[in-house]
Amino acid sequence: MKKPWKSLFRSSAKRPMTCGEVGEWLQHYLDGALDDRRSERLAAHLEDCRRCGLEADTYERIKHSLAGRQPSVPADSLARLREFGARIARGDEPVER
Amino acid sequence: MRRHTQRVPSRVSSPEASQALFERHVLPEIEVLLRVARSLTRNNADAEDLVQDTLLRAYRAIERFDGRHPRAWLLTILRNTHINRNRRQRPELLRDPDGTSRQLNELAAVDVTDAGVDAGFDAEIERALAELDEPFRSAVQLVDVEGLTYAEAAEVLGVPAGTVMSRLHRARGRIRDRLDRAGLAPRSH
Repeated sequence: MKKPWKSLFRSSAKRPMTCGEVGEWLQHYLDGALDDRRSERLAAHLEDCRRCGLEADTYERIKHSLAGRQPSVPADSLARLREFGARIARGDEPVER
Repeated sequence: MRRHTQRVPSRVSSPEASQALFERHVLPEIEVLLRVARSLTRNNADAEDLVQDTLLRAYRAIERFDGRHPRAWLLTILRNTHINRNRRQRPELLRDPDGTSRQLNELAAVDVTDAGVDAGFDAEIERALAELDEPFRSAVQLVDVEGLTYAEAAEVLGVPAGTVMSRLHRARGRIRDRLDRAGLAPRSH
């Protein structure tokens, strides 16, 4: 005889998340920090729920906007440091041990 | 056990071996080190000096490095070097020994390099960032702007990765609330 709690567990493992669960896990999902099982359930919810889909889009836009704020690194500084590192790697830079 | 086979013996004796390890693990990370150093120092010359010191310390310590997560290892050295330099050069910072959060905050207030398609959206994010408390803004700066992982940002800030994650999520939530209030991304309920 099938144990009721087992079937409950299986169904909750596969069913789409609720809006409340998406609220809890959405940022983990967008950061790629959610396990596969939860990711599938969350993605399944986003396909059907307009409200949560819009919320996910907003967070994606926030992340995109923030990523676009990365300042450029001065090329001359980077070149000097790479040369300095290369001298250490070649043994040309005296380093006190 | 792949990890173990990749581990570097704890005592590497020859300079040639150290140089090879340095080339493999350290040289590819110089740009990331410079980015984070600029975030910490807010000054190009200081950032360059900080990375130079970090490279020297990394070379001296490379024999003890286990070969895993070189970026996180280097960011720890960078942070400690930064704290030591601050203590030497700016003793008034002893009460706030690394000053990391404050300096990251200053950086967050400037340097918008991407005008973006939606200037209003970006400008509102700029204002939201300015309103964030220091620890939250630092998490955003390191992870969402500089592209570090939770674990790497944790090394820079000297807090657990879970703390970085929770600060980051709360910070984004506040930014999201501000966009809602500004009518730029209203919630549909």
